[in-house]
Amino acid sequence: MRLRRVTFSLLVIPICLAFARTTSAQALDISSGGQPTITGAVGGSVTGTSDVATDLVVTINFGEVSPLNTNSIVKVTVPFALRSNQPYQVSVSMSGLNNANGQAVQASDIGFGIANPRLLGGAGKICTQSNHVIRSPFNNDPALTATVGSNGRVSYQSSLGNLSGSTVVLSGPELSKNNSIKRQQSDGWIFDAVFTLTPQFFASGVSSATLIFSISAGPNVPC
Amino acid sequence: MPRKFFFKSILLTMLLTLAAVSSLGQSTTGTVSMSATVSKFVEINSGGAVTLTGNSGGGVTTDGVANSPLAVAINLGELGPSNTNSFVTASVPLKLRSNAAYVLSMTATVTSSGTTSSRIGAADIGFGLGTVSRTGLGVNAGSDTNATSGDPTLAANGSVNGTTGRYEFTAVRSNLSAFSSATTALSGPIIMNAVPRSNANGLTAPAMFAVKPQFFENGTTTVSVTFTVTAP
Repeated sequence: MRLRRVTFSLLVIPICLAFARTTSAQALDISSGGQPTITGAVGGSVTGTSDVATDLVVTINFGEVSPLNTNSIVKVTVPFALRSNQPYQVSVSMSGLNNANGQAVQASDIGFGIANPRLLGGAGKICTQSNHVIRSPFNNDPALTATVGSNGRVSYQSSLGNLSGSTVVLSGPELSKNNSIKRQQSDGWIFDAVFTLTPQFFASGVSSATLIFSISAGPNVPC
Repeated sequence: MPRKFFFKSILLTMLLTLAAVSSLGQSTTGTVSMSATVSKFVEINSGGAVTLTGNSGGGVTTDGVANSPLAVAINLGELGPSNTNSFVTASVPLKLRSNAAYVLSMTATVTSSGTTSSRIGAADIGFGLGTVSRTGLGVNAGSDTNATSGDPTLAANGSVNGTTGRYEFTAVRSNLSAFSSATTALSGPIIMNAVPRSNANGLTAPAMFAVKPQFFENGTTTVSVTFTVTAP
């Protein structure tokens, strides 16, 4: 008798857990939005996947960014897909990149913008009463907004230096027509996260950073 | 035994199902990791046009072009007593840029068609680096160490040998005999701040060469000088 109860519990608990997970997960989702690309790099690379049903896990190696790289800019485009059945917001937080030497690569040296919103297939929802809003100053392609500042250093309309804690970069109305409990190939929106780094006379060394993109319930805007 | 097997099978199935759901399920976070490498970088280029003075005949065969690779050819002209100028001098502007501490070294070879001790030799060719300048947007302020004695024509840097009568460049590293192998001429800290390569500023210094016209053995002399900048 006791064995039966234990067994029953063991069966019910996982079922509940699975149900809870799928129930909560279907409302908000972020995943890969396609194959990331990189241009202008010397010895650089970007890893990711073209499968939009796969988690967003991307590794960017900008490569050499001293003047040994004679390209004008290194640009990486990371598409990410969003799905939701409710208004959402996307925030980004950063860790790393703590160079004490001001001449080394700083957060403000890495341009960061969001661009090119587009439907992910036929089940992506088109709302007529609210737009997807890329928050200022991130609504740009930093490769197009790079300028040389008064100190001779390249700056951008927006960069990783504009991230403070968990910073909301994007929000809008619901994204998906359906309520699938799992990712579909065509049930949301895709946006491009664009990162740029201009080769300069930076102090030598290796720099690294990690960004966490998070989707959560956003301002209650109508669809 | 069959009951145990049954329950184990159920449990295993549940675990596999959970794993499958997890893999097909959704996520509220994504990760982008990034890295970049900055290697030490140094370069030497021409700082501009060559200035040749005191020459009789000769001229600048291949002039320097600012911010282009340094490849200059100079004909110093007549260096015998028929040239009545006190010195024939050539000033070659150099431009250095780096994102790290640098060392500029120089190697010189001198060959002459003469066969006697009166032919022009390395010690007869004065050399020194002039005023080192760090100016312009993006150039890092810093103190450089000039290992030469500067303008070789300065009175403090040379004189007539009282015994031989030959004019000699006597100061430290004031003639090319001091550079028969790679020898440091200039060193200093990082030159450029974090600015793009398109910024044309940098550290500039004139490389100054001088010959005192004398009763040298007649013939022709060829001097080849190679500058090398490194980031130790």
